[in-house]
Amino acid sequence: MNITKVNFKKNAFILFFITSLLTLQAQDITTSNEDWIGEIKAGIRMQKAQKLYMENGFAFDFTSPKIANNKIHIGFSFVTTRLGSAMGTNAIKQDNFLLNFGYHFRHQKKLQPFFRLNTGYFYADYESEIFDALPNTTLILAADTGVSYEFNSPISINLSAGYNFSAGNGIEGPGTLYPVFYQLSVFYTLFKKS
Amino acid sequence: MKTKHTVLKLLALFILILSSCSSDPTIDNATMLDGDQIFDASIYNPQDFLVSLSIDNPTTIQKNTPVVIATHGYSASTFEWNEFRDYSDLNATILISQVLLGGHGRTYEDFKNSTWKDWQLPILNEYNALKAKGYTNINFAGSSTACALMLDMIKNREIGDNEMKNIFLVDPIVIPSDKLMTIVGFVGPMLGYFEAENTATEDNYWYHFRPQETVNELLDLITKVRKDLQKGFSLPIGTNLKVYKSTKDDTADAVSAVLLYKGLKNSDGSNINIQMIDSDLHVVTRLEGRNTITQKDIDIQKQVFDDILMLVLQ
Repeated sequence: MNITKVNFKKNAFILFFITSLLTLQAQDITTSNEDWIGEIKAGIRMQKAQKLYMENGFAFDFTSPKIANNKIHIGFSFVTTRLGSAMGTNAIKQDNFLLNFGYHFRHQKKLQPFFRLNTGYFYADYESEIFDALPNTTLILAADTGVSYEFNSPISINLSAGYNFSAGNGIEGPGTLYPVFYQLSVFYTLFKKS
Repeated sequence: MKTKHTVLKLLALFILILSSCSSDPTIDNATMLDGDQIFDASIYNPQDFLVSLSIDNPTTIQKNTPVVIATHGYSASTFEWNEFRDYSDLNATILISQVLLGGHGRTYEDFKNSTWKDWQLPILNEYNALKAKGYTNINFAGSSTACALMLDMIKNREIGDNEMKNIFLVDPIVIPSDKLMTIVGFVGPMLGYFEAENTATEDNYWYHFRPQETVNELLDLITKVRKDLQKGFSLPIGTNLKVYKSTKDDTADAVSAVLLYKGLKNSDGSNINIQMIDSDLHVVTRLEGRNTITQKDIDIQKQVFDDILMLVLQ
């Protein structure tokens, strides 16, 4: 087992642990003090890198009336080519684990423009030791902006375009992490404070 | 009144964007390939560069001598494979066709008006001409974009079974290192062209200014090749392929080799041969004209040349 694989598993475990803690924390808050929770959403996310892969996965979104009066959205997302371009093809299998921090304008309206900062971890599986010398992991720093639309039903959609500041450049960083991306997320509202 | 001001501001912005759409660059004709004085040598004397033209009626011995079609990359010229030709002349009995890509080696305007299909055509023409003249041991060595052009030819079955012995890909480009290339469709028309950081020698053999149209063409080509590799395809029967890829390459991202490894298979379904090279050069086989060359670069170049010649002469 090489160092990269150990690092990936270790980092994936840390991210999973943090996410689990956040989820547990949210549940705990629900039972102990519902005033904290504004909205909890879960959904699917589709991401397309400009001139490269489609990466799909899931996303969670949380707001609180006690955090900027529901204007700040805190989320976690996981998108991967394993559920996108790499399904049944030779595309590189790559995963993005992200924490999202978004600010929504007009947060009480149906149409909400937003701006978001994202950070997390990227991993690409090159599947052969020939490529062990190539970088295949990195810390992700990205920003995106777009609009969110809240339907009358417990469904909402987010459309955004973003820029990844951690894209590879041939010398450093994974080569299939591209800078410009587009996202579509469809959320189901699990809980909303009335 | 406020609306009127907004319209005026938008109009001013529109005019600014239009005016910023750059026209042609200022070319120094005396020192740059882009101008109308320096042309690739193969344009004046093609018979010195193409085996199909240099030998009218090849003998049986000549027909069975290995011929390597050596082809340069985007914005370069036949110069890129001169060192291989010189090395082969001293160390092996082979024939070399140095192919000039279409649209290259001429003026900036000729380059600007060319498509990647135009770039590919001379490779196909030389390959078909050699076959028609009865050459039985045809090989290909390409660098950078020439590799993408060859991969497209393989995918389209323009290389027949048992018609090409070896294919050598030196620093093939499938994924560009400069990822901002992916938005050239947006910013290209505003910029008009991109300027390369060439040395004085390189300015004689590489375009100094790269029209945004050609960068778009390059992007179209490598996007097509990437998608073809994603679906997967295989080499013709009887053709061996070897990739030489530097691990730190500021032009063709080293991950290009991963895509080749996954997407291209030998005719029997086995993996192709890839050698990752600890180098930070793009096109490790070309050292002339560079600002700095280390002993390590010289050793790598020799190792790759020896390996190519060994495989060709096997």
